[in-house]
Amino acid sequence: MINKILVVEDDKFLRELISHKLKSEGYLVTEAIDGEQGVEKVKKEMPGLVLLDLILPGIDGFEVLAKMKADPELAKIPVIILSNLGQKDDIDKAMEMGATDYLIKAHKSPAEIVEKIRSMTAE
Amino acid sequence: MFFKKKRKIKGPDIGRNISLTDYLSDALLVFDSKNRLVLANRKAKEMFGIKEDNVLGKPVLELSRFEKLLPVINALGGELKIAEKEPVTIAKNFIVEVTTVPVLINKARANTLAIIHDVTGEKLSDQMKSEFVTLAAHQLRTPTSGIKWSLQALLEGDLGPLNDQQKEIVKTANETNNRVIGLVNDLLNLAQIEEGKYLRNRALNNIEDIIESILERNRQRIIKKKIYVQFNKVNAPKILMDKERIDIALTNIIDNAIRYTASGGKILIDILASSQEVEVRIKDTGMGIAKGDQSRVFSKFFRAKNAMKVETEGSGLGLYMGKNIIEAHGGKIWFNSEIEKGTVFHVIIPIKKKFGEFIPSSLY
Repeated sequence: MINKILVVEDDKFLRELISHKLKSEGYLVTEAIDGEQGVEKVKKEMPGLVLLDLILPGIDGFEVLAKMKADPELAKIPVIILSNLGQKDDIDKAMEMGATDYLIKAHKSPAEIVEKIRSMTAE
Repeated sequence: MFFKKKRKIKGPDIGRNISLTDYLSDALLVFDSKNRLVLANRKAKEMFGIKEDNVLGKPVLELSRFEKLLPVINALGGELKIAEKEPVTIAKNFIVEVTTVPVLINKARANTLAIIHDVTGEKLSDQMKSEFVTLAAHQLRTPTSGIKWSLQALLEGDLGPLNDQQKEIVKTANETNNRVIGLVNDLLNLAQIEEGKYLRNRALNNIEDIIESILERNRQRIIKKKIYVQFNKVNAPKILMDKERIDIALTNIIDNAIRYTASGGKILIDILASSQEVEVRIKDTGMGIAKGDQSRVFSKFFRAKNAMKVETEGSGLGLYMGKNIIEAHGGKIWFNSEIEKGTVFHVIIPIKKKFGEFIPSSLY
């Protein structure tokens, strides 16, 4: 059962919308506004799941993912990529790096994202 | 050999030896049966900064002392291996594609032609296009995501209940925004299709492995829809192909089969191989394509009405892209279908293991 989710998203509007939705569905939410903060918070808070944007100021989502997978403690935490890049190369790269899923923000509503999270834990 | 003859031109050009090869826009180097250079056309001399006196008669490996020729010689080796549009980076902003053509007389190599084509402009243009596409995707999708998510929040009552009138307007706004998102998607796909017309990285690959990985990627979907999939492998020979693009083409067909076949249906994939070609047959028991729609199935943006009912979001570009890719490989794609009975897609790709079997027009 996942109870804490880390949202790494630099766009304030989107970050607030997804956090609001997750909180209303009963999850504890912690936020990071860039890659550096993302890595810090994963280590500090050990969330049950990370929602990770790819285009971030400073180090990007791929780097955050790489750092997580390089650390045995953090490697176990599932990561769902939430990005607006949707080229096959990006998706393949993320999945090969160990992401659990890849969702395009413009195509999925917050409710659908919550559903994905739920179905992930139900398996 | 025509390229050895130099015609003496009368008139203002008296005394100038002009070789037909000087009219080629690509650099041409011709080697004899012992791999010694016998001709360098004007473009080659310009491109590599060499003079006939310094290079004619020299064996290949000796030419590597010329800075710009070195990377090309390295790529081809002393035996002048067969290459087809092999990319070689000569310098940071100087990239070429090298193609070698053996000239055989009585099955022995009498000469080898090395054609060097400058692709720096194309690469830069490709790069700029990719960057633009990435930028456009991000820039357009971020605000439309914000709109989508906030309208969804309103519709789901997350921000308080809406009266009927408010709900109607928000619903319409949401649908309109989804249309913009769809358009952005189509633009991105189109940009990729244009790139798809120019194949790159052709190598020998196993088409059955590609199909296997497509099925693996869709495993969850197939299980969830309770579709029975049977893939009959025959250990088909490897084919010279652009693996990534063939993957895209086949994914689009298999994706349709899964999408438009109802729960409990079947998908059968067969491979037939001959010495000339490999045929992939993808048969489903899905909803089929109406006779009236069949002629437009491969057109840009076309979506059949029955398809739209099942899947509102399709771009109508999948088969257009697939057809472009298959035909760029010299192959064929066609289908047979009956409404509510099912569809069979056929894809044939010729086996081209040896250079020289390619139609010359596809080189440029």
